[in-house]
This record gives sequence, C-alpha cells and structure tokens, in this order.
Amino acid sequence: MAERSTFSPHWHRVAPTKPRLRPHVQITRQRYRGRRWHVVHDPASNKFYRLNAVSHELVGLLDGVRTVEQAWNIVLDRHGDMAPTQPEVIQLISNLYNANLLSIEATPETEQLLRRQRDRLAQKVKSQALGIMYFRIKLFNPDGIISAIEPTLRPIINRWGFLAWLVFVLFTLTRLGSHSEALASGFKDAIAPSNWGWLIVVYVVAKAFHEMGHGVICKRFGGQVPEFGALLLVLVPSPYVDASACWGFASRWHRIAVGAGGMIFELFLAAIMAHVWLATPEGSLVHQLAYNAMLTAGLSTVLFNANPLMRFDGYYILSDLLEIPNMMQQSFKQLQFYMQKYVYRLEDVSPPTTKPGEAGILTVYGISALAYRIFLFITITLYVMGKLFAIGLILALWTAAAWFIMPVGKLVKWLSSGPKLADQRPRAIGVTLGLIALGAALIGLIPMPDVRRGVGVVESLERTGVYIGETGFVLDAYARPGDFLEAGQVIAVLESPQLESQIEISRAMLAEYESIEREATARSPSAVPVARERVAAATSALNFMLERADRLVIRAPHAGRYVGNDPHDMIGQMASAGEALGEVVDTENVRVAASMTQTEAAWLFDEVEKPRVAIRPVSMPGVVVRGESIRAIDAGQVYLPHASLGFAGGGTIKTARDDQTGLRTETAQFIVYVEPGENEDWAGVPGERVHLRFRLSAKPLAVQWVDRLHKLIQGRVQL
Amino acid sequence: MTAADASLNRYHALFEAVRARKRSVQTLKGADQLVAWGALKLRQRRSRLAVLMQWAEAVDLLAPEIRSLPETALDAQIDELRGAFVRGRASHGQVLRALAVVREVASRATGEEAYVVQLAGALALVHGRIAEMVTGEGKTLTGSLAAPLLAWRHRHVHVFTVNDYLAERDEQSRSRIYRRCGLTSGAITQDLSPQQRADIYSRSIVHGTPKQITADYLRDQISLGRIESAWSGWQKLGSSGPLVPGLQACLVDEADAVLIDEGVTPLIIARSRREDEMSHAYMKARDVSRELDPEKHYTVDAMRKRVKLTTAGRAVLASMAAEDDEQWATARRGEELVRQALVAQCCYIRGQQYEIVDGRVVIVDEYTGRFLPDRSWEHGLHQSVEAKEDLEVTADRETLARLSFQRFFRSYKFLCGMTGTAADSAGEMERVYGRPVTVIPTNKPVIREQESTRYFRGADAKWAAIVERIRSEHESGRPVLVGTRSVEASQLLSERLEVLGLKHSVLNAHHHEEEAELIAQAGHVGAITVATNMAGRGTDIKLTPESRRLGGLFVVLTEIHGARRVDRQFIGRAGRQGDPGGAQIFASLEDELVTKYAPNLGEIVASRANYDELTGSRISERVFKMAQSRSEARDRRGRTQVMRQDDWVDRYMPSV
Repeated sequence: MAERSTFSPHWHRVAPTKPRLRPHVQITRQRYRGRRWHVVHDPASNKFYRLNAVSHELVGLLDGVRTVEQAWNIVLDRHGDMAPTQPEVIQLISNLYNANLLSIEATPETEQLLRRQRDRLAQKVKSQALGIMYFRIKLFNPDGIISAIEPTLRPIINRWGFLAWLVFVLFTLTRLGSHSEALASGFKDAIAPSNWGWLIVVYVVAKAFHEMGHGVICKRFGGQVPEFGALLLVLVPSPYVDASACWGFASRWHRIAVGAGGMIFELFLAAIMAHVWLATPEGSLVHQLAYNAMLTAGLSTVLFNANPLMRFDGYYILSDLLEIPNMMQQSFKQLQFYMQKYVYRLEDVSPPTTKPGEAGILTVYGISALAYRIFLFITITLYVMGKLFAIGLILALWTAAAWFIMPVGKLVKWLSSGPKLADQRPRAIGVTLGLIALGAALIGLIPMPDVRRGVGVVESLERTGVYIGETGFVLDAYARPGDFLEAGQVIAVLESPQLESQIEISRAMLAEYESIEREATARSPSAVPVARERVAAATSALNFMLERADRLVIRAPHAGRYVGNDPHDMIGQMASAGEALGEVVDTENVRVAASMTQTEAAWLFDEVEKPRVAIRPVSMPGVVVRGESIRAIDAGQVYLPHASLGFAGGGTIKTARDDQTGLRTETAQFIVYVEPGENEDWAGVPGERVHLRFRLSAKPLAVQWVDRLHKLIQGRVQL
Repeated sequence: MTAADASLNRYHALFEAVRARKRSVQTLKGADQLVAWGALKLRQRRSRLAVLMQWAEAVDLLAPEIRSLPETALDAQIDELRGAFVRGRASHGQVLRALAVVREVASRATGEEAYVVQLAGALALVHGRIAEMVTGEGKTLTGSLAAPLLAWRHRHVHVFTVNDYLAERDEQSRSRIYRRCGLTSGAITQDLSPQQRADIYSRSIVHGTPKQITADYLRDQISLGRIESAWSGWQKLGSSGPLVPGLQACLVDEADAVLIDEGVTPLIIARSRREDEMSHAYMKARDVSRELDPEKHYTVDAMRKRVKLTTAGRAVLASMAAEDDEQWATARRGEELVRQALVAQCCYIRGQQYEIVDGRVVIVDEYTGRFLPDRSWEHGLHQSVEAKEDLEVTADRETLARLSFQRFFRSYKFLCGMTGTAADSAGEMERVYGRPVTVIPTNKPVIREQESTRYFRGADAKWAAIVERIRSEHESGRPVLVGTRSVEASQLLSERLEVLGLKHSVLNAHHHEEEAELIAQAGHVGAITVATNMAGRGTDIKLTPESRRLGGLFVVLTEIHGARRVDRQFIGRAGRQGDPGGAQIFASLEDELVTKYAPNLGEIVASRANYDELTGSRISERVFKMAQSRSEARDRRGRTQVMRQDDWVDRYMPSV
C-alpha cells in the first residue's frame, strides 16, 4: 500500500480557516457493506459529495468557529491512524469548497464563485462534446407536474403496490404465453417500414411514461426532480429526468425503487397494452398501436434499461444492490490498479477497495463493462455506417477519439511524465511497447480463422409433383407435409360417387353384354362376334373407369419427403383432377442455395482453396452439417432461389418494391450452391432456411478487417 | 511630498498589491497551450536576433548626434522621452532614441560605452526577452541601459541579482545613470529596517535578491489577508500600506539560476510553534533508526532521498511502539519519524547537504555549495538532522505563508532577464514564463580552448590527474581556477595541493565581498583558486598583461555537474571578452552524478575497464551524458510538478 504522509506543504492554506457547511446543505447517512457513509447534498445545485465516517466527523466539527487545524487535531486524537492526513484534509476541504458545499468566510468570494461557475460550464461543454453518442438537451423543470401527479399515486407506491404490479405483470405474461404465434406474426407487421412512424410515436410516449415513473417515485420519497430533457442516444431522442436527488436517500431500497421506477411504470404500460391487444380485433389501428406499445415498452426495458453494463437504470439498481457506490468508476480504477501493480510493477499504488469480495465484484464488472463498451461501439458504428455512412463514420471517429485516442494520449503522457513511474519508466515503456507489439503481432501476423456468414435455402435435386388424379371429394388423408413416404405410399384417398355409379353402370352393362354373348353362343352363333365386341368394349370401358377409380388413391411416386398442402385440410372438399397437391421431394439428394451480393461472393471467388462451409439448419439448433463442393454461379442474377431469402419472405436481401413474387432483387445477386457432405446424416427439408458459415483460409486479423472495411466501403461509396 | 500625495501613493501601492495577487497565472493545458505557444512564436519573430541587431545598429547611428548634445539639451531630450514612456505612448523610434540617450548618459556618468551587442541585449530586455550573454560581456551595463526605460514605462522596476553584495554594488555604480534619467533607486539588503525598506520600495528602480523582495511581498500578502479590492484593503489596513507596491516589471540577472534552478524553492514565512514537545520524539526516532539494520529493515533510495521500510522493519517498529507509547500517538506518525531519521542518517551527509556552524545545522546549497543560514528543511527533517548530530532540537516551525519563486516571478506584469547560459533551458523559459530566449553574440570572438574531457574509473586517479594538471599549469605561471561541486571536495583538493606545497586560495561562496576581491585576483600570474561553482559569481576575473601572455586563465572542472548549464557557466569564466583561456573537465565513474543517476551502467563500465583512465572510450562518455540528461530530466520533472501543484493550490484552495 502506498505510504500516506501526514504533512502537506500546503497545510497553511487551510489550517487557519474556519469553514462550515453551507446552511442549506443536507446530510444523510447511508450504509454500504457495513460501512457508514454520509452524503452531503446541496439541493440548490443538486451536487453530492460522499464522506466516510471520519471525514464526516471532521466536517461536523467545522462549525465556523473552530479552525481546520483544531478540528483536525480533535479527529487525530480520537482516531489516530484512521484520521485523514493533511493532504487528505486539504483534498476534502477543497472538494467541498469547490462544490460550493462549504463556505469559508461570511462573505462569498465573488471572483472565485464566478470562476468556478465558468469552470463547470467548460467542463460540461467538454463532456458533451466528447460524448456525442449521448447528447443531453435540457428542456424544462418538471417538478411542478410531478408534484401534481405524485399525491394521487402515493397510496400505491409501497410494497403492496409493487406486489400487485408483480402479480399483474406475471398474469399478463401467462396470458400472452398462449398467444405466442400471434405475437410472433405481429412482430413482422410491427417492424415493417409502414409502421415506423407509429413506432417512434409510441416509443416516445412510452419513454415519457418511463421517466415519469422515475420522477414520481423520487418525489414520493422526498427528492426533487429539477430537470426534464431529451437525451440523444446515437442520435435517437429519448426523454430523461434528473432523479439524482435519490442519491441522497438514506434507504437503499428507496434508491433502488427510484432506479426501477421507470421500468415498473413502463412494464405496467406494456401489460395494459397487452390486454388491449388481446381484446381488439386484428387489423384495427388500436390493435396495432397496442402491439407497438407492448413491443417498445417491454423489449426496450429488458434489453436496454435493465442492462447494468451501461449507465442506465440497471446500473444504478445493481450498484445499490451490491452496495458499491460509483461502481463503474471504481471498477475501472480496480482494473487500472491491477495493470499498474502486476504489469507495470509499481509499488506506490493502492486499490480502490481492500475488501476481497468487493474487489472481485469490481474486477468482474469492470471487465464486462469494458468488453461491452467495445462491443457496443463496434456494433453501433457498423449499424449507423450501414444506414448513414457519412454520419456513422463521423460518429465512429469522434467516439474513437473520446474512447480511444484520449486514453491512449493519457497513457502516453503518463508513461512519459507520470511521477509515479519515476523509477520504472524504462521498464514501463518497455512493457507497454511489448504489449503493443504483442497485440500488433496477434492482429497483423498470426493467421486467424476467417469466417463469413450467409443465409441459404435447402433445395432438392429430384422432386415430383403430386397431383389430384381424378376429381372427387377428399375422403381421407394419410400424410402431412414433412412426412417421409415410401414409394407408392398413400397420401390421400378421394371418393367420387359419380365415378362409382359409372362403374356400377359399366359393370351392369358388361354383365348384360356377357349374358347376351352367352345367349348368342347357345342360340345364334352369327351374333357372337357382335356380342363379343360389345363385351370387349364394355370391359375396356369398365377398366378405364377402374383405372380412374384407382387414381382416387393418391400415392407417392417415389420415396421422399412430402411437401406442399396438407391433404388433411382438404378432407370433405372437392378436388378436381390435375390440381397440384404438393411434391414428393427426394431428401437424399438436397443442396443449399444461397444468394449473396457481389461483395460477399467476392470473398469466395478470391479464395484459392475452396472454403470449408458449415450448414446450420434454423429448425434444428445445435446441428452442424459439413458442406461440400461449393459452386457459385458467377454471374449476377436478379431472381432469388427462394422467396424466403428476400425481404418480403422474412429474409435479409432487399427485393424490388414493385415485385409481387418476392423473388426479384434490387441488386444483382450471386447464387452459391452448397451440397451437404457425403457422410452427413442430414435430411434437409427443402424450403428450409439454413445459416451458412464459410470458413475461409486463415489470415491475420488486420488483413481480414481491412478486407471487410474495403468491401463495406466499396459497396457504399462511389470512388 | 504632501500628505495627499502620500495617501495617493499608498492607495496605488495597495491597488497594485491586490492586483499582483489576482494575477494568478495558470499553466495552460492542451489546445490552449498549443495556441499560446504558436502566438508566442509569432510574436518572437518580430524581435528575433537579426531584427534586434538591426535596431541596435540604428541606435548606434544616433550616437554621434546625441554625443554632441550639451548637458541641458540631453536633459531636455530625457524629459521628453520619459514623458512619452510614462504616458505609454512611446513609439518604436522613441524607444530606439531613448536607448541611445541612456547609452550616452551611461557613458558620461561612468565612462563605459556600450557595444552594439549590448544595445541588442538591452533591446531584447525591453521586449521582454531573456537575453543570453556570455559571462563578462557586460551584463551589468546592459541591464542598466534597459532598467531606466522599463522604469519609465512601468513606474517600478525590480532588478534581481544573486546576492546582497552584488545588489548593493550594482545599485551604487548605476545610481548616477538612474538619477540622470530622473529616476530614484535603492538596494534592498538583509539588514534594513521596515521603514527603510518602505522608503526604498517606493523608488523607481530597486535592486535586490529574490529572497528579500519575495519575502517582503509575501509578508504584505499575509497582512492584506483576504481582501478582494484595494478599497477594502484601505479600510482594513488604514495607514499602514503594503511594503512592495505591486509587481510591475522586473529584470532578472542570472535568470537561469533564479527562474529555473531556484524557481521551485518555496519561500516560507514561518513562526515557531509555541507548544513544543516534539524534540523527545525526534531523539527517540533517531535511537530507533540506529538499531535498524540496513540489510534487513529498510532500503535507501539515494537518488530521491527516500527510505523505505521493509515488512521486517515495520514489525520491529510495531514492537518498539508497543513498549512505550508516549509520543508515538499514531503508528503512522512514528513510522514517519523513523523514516525521516533514516533519511537524515543515510541521505544527508555533513559537508554536502549541511554544515554545522555554531551548534546549528546550516543547509548547504547542493548546486552551489553556498551556505543558506536562514533556511531550514520542512516537516521535521531539519529536526531529524539535528537529532542525528546530537544538537539541540529546534522547535518545529509552523508555516504561515508559502510562495515559490516561480509563482512570484510569474506574478509580474513584465518580466525579462539576462543570463550566461539560458539556451539550455530555453524550452522551460518559454513554457513556464512565456519568455523567449535570445542568444546575443559576443563582442569579440571567443578564443578559449576547451580541451576534451578526461574520464577516470576511480576518484583517486581523477584527483591525482587534476593535481598533476594544476601543477603543470602552475609551473608555467598560468593562473588556474578550479571548480568543485561541494565544500567538502574543495577542502579535499586543498589538502592535496597543500601536500605538494602549492599555494592556493579556497572560496566557499560564503563571504561575498572577500570573495569578490579574491576572485578578482584569480587572474594574476601563478594564482591557484579553488572555488565552489557559485563562488564569486558576478565578479570578473581580470587578467594581468603578464598572465594574458601566458595563455590566460585555465579552468579546471573537477566533476561534471547535474546540469550542463552549470558546467558552461564555470568554464565561461575563462576567455572573457576575447581573452585567451583554456578549460578542461575531469570526471570519474565514482562521481556523484554517475552513482546517483546511472549507478548500474557506471558499475558495468567500471568493471569492464582495463585502465584507470577511460578517456576516449565512447561508452564511458555515454554514461556521463546519460547521467547528466537523467539528472536534468529529473529536475525538470520536479519543477513541472511544483508548478502544477502551485496551479492547483491557486485554483482550488481557499485563499488565505
């Protein structure tokens, strides 16, 4: 641990002063992991400062009559080694003083006050400029509105209200569970471009409701809500309220309640909307809007607000649950400490916490938050670049500057002139360069597997149509789509009363002609040939009829999987001859057809060796099939092999707007065929969607990234 | 002066004093720093050396005209120019003319006619630059040309020199020039009463040392307290105004030493604590520290003067503290005391860092070897050293106010300076003070011969070689000046010379006036003068015609100093004003520079060496270069840190 020195050369600056906390400042006691803390809160400026027990005692002794020196001596007598050192006291006093929580003389020092104001403004502007991914626009003070709403809700903001809410939400969930199919199909409508306008409206309303939740609960427990505004999250506006007054709450459950208030309100809205959705007829606007609300309110809270890795509701809830204030900052400090201690081997460093449990939490949290940040940065950048290339690029560069170049700059500065490094500077620089070299080698030299993804559809090489052989009513069905059939196995049986009666007639006629023939043989041989001809004609007519009757039984033409209409659905209905029922597809011989853009396909064409490919059927998670003999048709096509690959069919490829079939694409596509490997025991169902993983020849990550970026830009920018 | 005038003056002094305090100079950061740097560079171009020399030539062209003026006409000219300056409306032409006039005044008053390069130097000063002028190029004269112009323009000018003796001497020799220019002048020295001081400060040109003037300024600040405006100060203080009437303009001689080396030394006004029960604790810490084992219980960091206790050492301490617990109120405090006692024991050596004079510990300036009788180390270190030497432990002192020289000088509205060697620290001058450095060429070319440095493995071989060299030069009759790093080294050398029966004199930078005389004679034939680096600064070593014929002064430097500048300064004592001269540096791997700043490398090179002398080996040269640049970097970092701290304190701490 770093040595704390008792004395400071600047002690005389504070020692004789007689400061005191400003009269309007409030102090609340909080407990974190068994330790006592005191939060100093200035409601006027909404500033907070957290003091530990001993510091609090010191600040408490400062009454405007005692000097700092006297107060410090008292604390020193009482607490010995636990007492703050002179540098620590100076830090404390100056922090409080600069947060305007402490007044030193009866008359304020106007110049310093003004300068501090300027500093704060500059700081604010700076932090806004750096964090353009989260831009805040202050709109108005919502305290009046919230104060008006809060009394009516007060009776239910308690644990019983929470329980009732919980029951209601669970009930709604179970009710929704039985409508999962309708839920899923509604999703497609919801994300259709025609719905986007409504989606945004609903989103803003839901989020306003969410923020009201924070505000009302904060008010309920005595906090002020001084600010309402819009937060531009990656340029998407989202309302916010300043409920930071809750940091001063003594009870951590109250703090958690404020943090969770937004989600509670929003999920409540989502639950109500779920019931509205269930009660309204499909196709109505209310139905659609209710679905939108359910989707935005439900999903966004779970995915977004509850996520503790960013500084949103989930983070504050988690930090209070774990009783670690300032968790994000502390955990980064913890990581920094490990770096300095174990990588740079500095001696004078101290960790933010000495409790092993807390250190563990901080470490785990720090690593996940860092990883998430990087992940988020890359995803958001790529996403925005995909939509709005130029803005995405600017955003990416800006954020990279804030998240990357600045820390790197700080590292360089620290390495070159950090006082802590005085002795180990050459070593530290060596270690850093070593790490950079290692990283560069990993990225630039060592080949890494290069994997690209695609989506394909299973196609069969042999397929025979199954048709209705004879008009009739479907009597019974023996196969469903997807069933595997042997050759000749019955798919469906029809009945045709008309045909039956015709057969009866034919039989009767045959019997008649036969009896005529017998009679002729016995009585008049000259009539025999005519009679025989008639018999022959009647026999052939009957046979024809019987053949037709045979065709009432629909059989599989060859072994294979039946796909197409379900004959069960047709029982009792009339089907006319020649009508297509479905297909029997030979599943032994299937292939996957994938459609790729020019740039995607170029990866495959560029390869010297044929890439290895893995097929993952969507319907069977976990199943991986090795693909073989990849063949690409290297000419642009404008038709997809299957509608399910296109936008209209739920796929990812843009189809032409004026196209009804959902097959014609906007841009030229390259069809790639992949056949499953010889020994693979996989019977792909034709028409089924599969994911393809092309494993290209290994190359260093840098090469891969440049290649990808190049291809991304190639597609967007006309050079 | 009427009573109303006196009041007005006092009010003005108060106003300026408050203003000086508010002129809180913050070090710029980031983009601001870059912009300021760019602006500075642009401004500098307008008064770069070539331009200055042109202007100086122009001033020189005015000389015949002005020389021919009768006294009364000259006075009339002075009055007119002075008026323009006072009103702040002096045009460029008037500045040049004023300089020509002051030059004429100086030549009539003292008989010294300034060279063109000195005019260029004076112009550099007037334009707020740091002028680098080689020692012996007449800095005093240059300063006295610029000071009247500055005094006209800024009302008060403080001229800083390194010691009281020089301040007094310069003021006396220059006062005639000043008086002729319608200016009053005075020198602030140690033994003046407050009334005398107040009188001198009210004059236009005040000579003094940084220590004196800073201390007076700081005392003013304490008495002013927390006032925001001159008016509230007026009400609070009543008739007693501040001593120093604001910080308007200053001209710093030996700018590198004052602004850079000494820059971070804080000037502290302290008083003894009334309650003093600590002496016992220091004694006890000393006893404990003597029982600790350097192998097991602590490690010493000589470079940073720090001692670290090992776990075993801490355990020993804990057991001792448990035995009796009277003064050791807290374990941390006890540990600190012991650590300090160890530092006093291991890192502070009598003769190097301090001396004992009349039973008192007197700090010795490590840079210069000078005694600093009225300084003391802070936070009990002084007491620990006293305890170590078994002296009476003085009372711990309580700081009342504190100001670093750097901060003090940055509070001036106008700053300029002269020095022999500023180019080495030009970057720092620009960064910290925003003052560009101009190297003024010498009037006559330097013909000093500097022989290549001789490197040795051990100190013994080095000293032997030094003595040998002194002897051989002495035999030829050439005067020799030997520079040592510390008082201890100069005594050691003196003993060696004694053995050989070489007559010599030793200067310890302690008695300024005597030393000035001694050093003035150092140029005589056959003189051997052993001096610490700083001894007799500001006094020329004049050669006799005889010694000039013998090759001029020969300077021997017995050690490489931590800062290149100091080496250059000392060597610069030979070969002044086109005189002949010679110099050589002797260095060994056992010198403090190497053992402190490149110990490992030094050992490796020493163990590989086959001979005692390493001269000509590239690697050993490298070792010294590296050690020197490391030492310079360390000092620079220390200064930056102090500056940052000063900034922080100024910005975030309540002013007292």
